[in-house]
Amino acid sequence: MAFVQAVVIGLLIGGVYALMASGLTLVFGVLRVVNVAQGALLILAALLTWLLWRTTGIDPILSAVLTTPVMAGLGWLLYRGVVDRVRAADPAMPVLATFGVALVIEGALNVTAGNTYRSATPPYFARSFHVAGIAVPQPHLYGFAAAVVVLGALYLLLTRTWTGRAIRATAQNPSGAALVGVGARSTAALAFAIGVATTGAGGAVLSVLYPFYPASHYDWIAKLLGIIVLGGLGSLPGALTGAVILGLAETLTATYGSLRWSTLVFYLVILVVLLVRPQGLFGARLREDAA
Amino acid sequence: MAVIRRATLLLLTAALTASACGTPPSKRGAESGKPISIGISLPLTGDFSQPGKEAGRGYQVWADLVNARGGLLGRKVKLVVTDDASNQDTVVSDYTRLITQNKVDLLLGTFSSLLNYPASAVAEKNQMLYVQPAGGAEKIFNRGFKYLFYAQPATAPHQADVFVDWIAALPAAERPKTAAYPTQDDPFARPVIDTMRARLEKLGVKTVYSTVYPPDTTNLQPIASAIAAKKPDLVAQGAVFEDGVGLVRSLKQLGYSPKQLFQTSAPSNADQYSKGVGAANTEGVFYTVSWNERARTPLNKTFTALYGRRYGGATPAEDAADAFAAGQVLQAAVGKVGRLDQKALADYLRGHPVSTILGPLRWDARGAPLAKFMLAQWQSGRVEIVAPAARATTTHVVNPKPGWK
Repeated sequence: MAFVQAVVIGLLIGGVYALMASGLTLVFGVLRVVNVAQGALLILAALLTWLLWRTTGIDPILSAVLTTPVMAGLGWLLYRGVVDRVRAADPAMPVLATFGVALVIEGALNVTAGNTYRSATPPYFARSFHVAGIAVPQPHLYGFAAAVVVLGALYLLLTRTWTGRAIRATAQNPSGAALVGVGARSTAALAFAIGVATTGAGGAVLSVLYPFYPASHYDWIAKLLGIIVLGGLGSLPGALTGAVILGLAETLTATYGSLRWSTLVFYLVILVVLLVRPQGLFGARLREDAA
Repeated sequence: MAVIRRATLLLLTAALTASACGTPPSKRGAESGKPISIGISLPLTGDFSQPGKEAGRGYQVWADLVNARGGLLGRKVKLVVTDDASNQDTVVSDYTRLITQNKVDLLLGTFSSLLNYPASAVAEKNQMLYVQPAGGAEKIFNRGFKYLFYAQPATAPHQADVFVDWIAALPAAERPKTAAYPTQDDPFARPVIDTMRARLEKLGVKTVYSTVYPPDTTNLQPIASAIAAKKPDLVAQGAVFEDGVGLVRSLKQLGYSPKQLFQTSAPSNADQYSKGVGAANTEGVFYTVSWNERARTPLNKTFTALYGRRYGGATPAEDAADAFAAGQVLQAAVGKVGRLDQKALADYLRGHPVSTILGPLRWDARGAPLAKFMLAQWQSGRVEIVAPAARATTTHVVNPKPGWK
């Protein structure tokens, strides 16, 4: 019974982690840019969600419908204003630049919103469904549902639409894509905007599940980077797998061993995967890797 | 980055920064009637930014009050505050700079054991009195330092003594029979729980579960499940904040409510805690605390009122009160000694108790405090002090804890 309980919660948490990691891996896949500001954007979205919930009473998870376009716009601006300008200089520059963005966001939140813990607590925040002796926490379940919706939409967008095909083409072969008329710069901006837009839903779920404050983003970006490195940078199914592995690792090590080991075990697994399969579990080897 | 830090700093220390730097040493000294400068580095950004900012406010309110009442040795006090970004290396260079370049007259400590550990070593090396408002980890006091003093009633391992005393005083039938001890691997939380567990085991309370989890633990459901399976009477958690909120939520989701719930730190975060777990679920939760806004200690009302006036009606956090108390300790030593002789100040504190808003404080030879924390309990949506009797705000104790709402 303890095993089933741990697996259920691990899967739900894994789904939520996948939602949060999806934007990061998408941006890397298309732009080869590690957006270190993703964690800070997640916290920013969580704060927007919390504000909406506090002032209007809109359900925090449903309010992702409102925050997602806002975050998408912010992502587009961020790309055109910052990332695009430094990308050409040096492959490492976007990492530094987005880290700078993360610090700016943290600082701005500190000054404007104040440095306190917040969490959105709709009526279901600490309730569970009890099914055959297993507790299924309601906020986790709804968060998981949001993750399924967003990841599904992302999958359909990437595989079924012209825009998605353009994004994937740019990811696989930028010059080839340009040859057939895919504008590299506008596609990149679009992919970045979509990547940041996922923090709308991610932040909404975060605001209900975990108390957060401006500096929380360090913990989250560390977790998300671990997930996408394990799954394979740039791969959406990889992010999902990495996230579920992390979720299960957390709950199972806590149930059958000690949580003290869970972080260590997770990062050891990442190291082993990288040594055996440098591209991650799902990462595809590109021509540049082979060279 | 530098711009952000500067902006934050400016906001917090206002005009102080301008006059802080570059005062030539020849211009300093009691004769000149210049302000007494007090160097402080605080984690205004980063992991400890929340308590760090509160500590900064506490210091500021203290300095305001001192200046409003004629200053220290007839001179105004001036705080020179820098931001160490919650970083151990930065806090070392900050205090080094404050001492060697800014040539401050006095120091006050920073926030958290992590930062006070290296910062106090800088002060010791320079033979400057170092009164710290936080940093109760035992190992801080085992380095043979002569200038270090801790301005809280007890070190981390003894914070929960007052709770154990309360349990020991219960009729045998009302005492918990079994207990679970989950604790974060935190130098401030874990020793509290370790000492409590050892003492409760001696009292015959059987340990049915214990675990240590890392600071980055965000999901407490597995721990809550393990606890619920053992059905302990008492759950005593070494919680910092998110983990404390997370465990309450998870226990409620699992439908398990212990007869007594004790948590370190987390429940002391007033609004943030009650909003995080839901106000109704705070009922009966115990924690120990160095300070409470309604505790009957000298100057406490003045402190709370001044803080509210300066910071938009806000209620001070415990961290602000601890910083204020650290200021009071420094003030008492300087006032009694009558000059800024660092060694004489330290010798004075080793031999004399000081009255603070936390109650009377006194120290052993290591600078570790020898007083007791207060036992606090959430009752009907607000915090009451239930022990020790001298500082208590009520004689009523909620026991056992009601089920989750």
